[in-house]
Amino acid sequence: MGLRWYHFALWGAFIVGLALLPELVSKGTLRTIIFANYLAIFAISWDVLSGRTGYISFGHPFLIGIGAYTTAILTKRFDVPVEISIPVAVVVTMIGGLIVLLPALRVRGSYFAMITLAFMELMYQLVQVIRPDLTGGTRGMSGLPTLTRGAVNGFYLSAFLMVSVALSMWLLMRTRLGTALSAIGMNEESVRGSGLSATKLKMVAFLLSAAIAGLGGAFYVHYLGTIAPRALFEINFAFTIIVAALIGGASTIVGPVIGAFFLTLLLEYLRPVLPGAERYLIYGGVALLLYMYQPRGIYEIIQQGLARVRRSS
Amino acid sequence: MTEALTITNLVKRFGGLTATNDLSFTVADGESVGLIGPNGAGKTTVFSQIMGEHRQTSGSIKLYGEEITPLPTARRIRHGVSRTYQVPRPFAELSVAENIRVGLMHDNVWQMVLHGPDPDRELELALSVGFTEDDLKRTPAELSMGDLRKLEMARTMATGPKVMLLDEVFAGLTVGEIAQIGELIQQMRGDGMTFLIVSHDLKALEPLVERAIAINYGELIAEGSFARVIENEAVRASYLGDTV
Amino acid sequence: MIQILIQGLLLSGLYALLAMGFTLIFSIGRVLNLAYGSYLLIGGYVYFQFSQVMGLPKLAGVALAALMGVVMGIAKFRLIVKPLKGEHVPVEISLLILAVVLQAAVVLVFGDSSKILLPIIPGVKWLAGTAIPYSNLFAAVASWLILIGLYVFVRTTHTGRAMQAVSMDPKGAAISGIDSDRINMITWAISGALGAVAGVFFASYTQLYPGMWVGPLIIAVAVVIVGGIGSIIGTLIVAHIVGFMEVIVSAWIAPELRGVFTMLLIIVVLVARPRGLFGREEL
Repeated sequence: MGLRWYHFALWGAFIVGLALLPELVSKGTLRTIIFANYLAIFAISWDVLSGRTGYISFGHPFLIGIGAYTTAILTKRFDVPVEISIPVAVVVTMIGGLIVLLPALRVRGSYFAMITLAFMELMYQLVQVIRPDLTGGTRGMSGLPTLTRGAVNGFYLSAFLMVSVALSMWLLMRTRLGTALSAIGMNEESVRGSGLSATKLKMVAFLLSAAIAGLGGAFYVHYLGTIAPRALFEINFAFTIIVAALIGGASTIVGPVIGAFFLTLLLEYLRPVLPGAERYLIYGGVALLLYMYQPRGIYEIIQQGLARVRRSS
Repeated sequence: MTEALTITNLVKRFGGLTATNDLSFTVADGESVGLIGPNGAGKTTVFSQIMGEHRQTSGSIKLYGEEITPLPTARRIRHGVSRTYQVPRPFAELSVAENIRVGLMHDNVWQMVLHGPDPDRELELALSVGFTEDDLKRTPAELSMGDLRKLEMARTMATGPKVMLLDEVFAGLTVGEIAQIGELIQQMRGDGMTFLIVSHDLKALEPLVERAIAINYGELIAEGSFARVIENEAVRASYLGDTV
Repeated sequence: MIQILIQGLLLSGLYALLAMGFTLIFSIGRVLNLAYGSYLLIGGYVYFQFSQVMGLPKLAGVALAALMGVVMGIAKFRLIVKPLKGEHVPVEISLLILAVVLQAAVVLVFGDSSKILLPIIPGVKWLAGTAIPYSNLFAAVASWLILIGLYVFVRTTHTGRAMQAVSMDPKGAAISGIDSDRINMITWAISGALGAVAGVFFASYTQLYPGMWVGPLIIAVAVVIVGGIGSIIGTLIVAHIVGFMEVIVSAWIAPELRGVFTMLLIIVVLVARPRGLFGREEL
């Protein structure tokens, strides 16, 4: 996998930094970082599917929502313990991933993006009208069992999940599988022409992505304790996930984590300066300019910066 | 003599256009055959049917006696046939080594994860088409047309074919590069590789093939030794029609 | 029955108008304009500001909204599509971010709460037991006139033909001496104007609020997918399929389910016939 000493050093420093964080920041900031952790998980999920294979998903909340609703319904309506409901949620989300895979066998590019948007919207409408006694309809559900008490424990759980997902995907994408998946995004015909089944590879990417989305969605809903369709199947939520992944650096796994933290902390640190609605304007504007300046993301900006330092020294 | 590739009564229609019309020919194991014909004769369409990129309307394609027509492209490649493209199609953001790596992969996800790449084999393939060790890190954006064709050869060879279909391998190359690729083909012929080669550069093609097959409008018009085929009147007429 | 027919026609006319600007950009610029909904949003608010708050004549308000759409369209082309060299994913993502930025801008200027637009023409006409607000009738008729005008423009003028050429084959058009930059800019301008005017009508159908751009965007997406790329007539027909389907589902099944059928239609059509019902081979 070509691991070097600085890979170990950087990951080690990152994990130690996260472990010490509750000592360094306030409870309020910690709650923000909990959100950043979950956002990072969702962005990694998006990256494994869209960043790698080029099948841009605009409806990623569709997958996250399947995971979140599955565990919410199981625990709330059927009193299933979370130890069972979360694994079930992951499996159900993977089945959902196969549903998203179907159009990807026929269409690509903008068409695929539009279908995923339709999937999300369909889900939004369906959870409100089909069996509202189960889903809670438009209002959703509250009083779901939570796994942790207090910000510190919630933070450690989310950080543990995020690091596990990030590290395992980072390692996995450094194998030849990662190379093959990114080859799909560059030229699918040539992947077939190299004797590989593009369908099989896409299925792997979709299943991985769905599993991560389901896991993240399930734990997130048990952190929040509530679930509502409007907050979940929303274009702004999809937007935040995609932008986090892209602004950090698509197809790198580390990039989406950087992007998720950057976006969340940007919004947080703008709060004292700009308390009103203009905060979102600045936040979006910064994201837009940064993305247009370097569509490959902060990861690439850092790499170029390092290369320049190395050359001049 | 074993038949490597057996094409029987191959027909391909695109709407009203017949691109391949009842075409039959064979290529023996270890043989090198030139497939010639004017622009639009249907040479590339024959290749894409052999590879399963286009489904034929009717007819059969056998590889070493085994029917491959129902198989998808990837499975055909595993059976030992592989092709290059007129316009090279590299993986734009992967290095030369990684491009070859994709060709070397077996279609097995577990293997991809559990086994690392084989840098020695990657280097060997790169060197065999005329790259240097330094080229391994370069990306397709930095390569010339000749280098891109070499890369495509290397990736095609990496899939481990017994039969290679080469589509306009000499197009856009310098004289030196043509000689280099020609040498590579000769060497692989010596090692027993079977070739079916499409080229407009008949002069470059001649020394590389034992036999030629000429087609026009998707139909076979001549077959035999290279010299006889290009002297054939129907073939000359078809090329003349092409230049007018 | 007549009720459904009338409501279907009114809604479909509006849908056709709002989908048309989106189709144009998708056919000619090959860009999925995810900020398309913001034309409707800004158009609606511009009309609200000038006609309702400042009391200008209503037609002037519509014209100013259209002008704003033109300006926004050109700005999007110049500031986003051109600098990113038309590369699909960066352009589409940037447009999506822009849509969210514009929504934030609207919240900043006009606040979060929704506004009710006064009808463009007050009054209601009763026909076969159905209340038809003159406003909706006006919107449908205006939509139709605009679309006929657009069709004539694309079919008969030099610029319109050049647009068709770019849509079919950008490289071929460039070789024939068509300045595709200019054509693209004109298309973005027209698309913006169509979207902004559709926004005024749409807002008077429903409400004016900062999140209103999503719904119409999804309808436009649906119409373009099902209709297929590069067909004005296809867009028109599919807008009617979608419009009538919504009205029929609302009346006979359940109003909450109307979106479900539209989404199912998108998914089924795209999987079964990726180029859409009336589109060219284009994938």
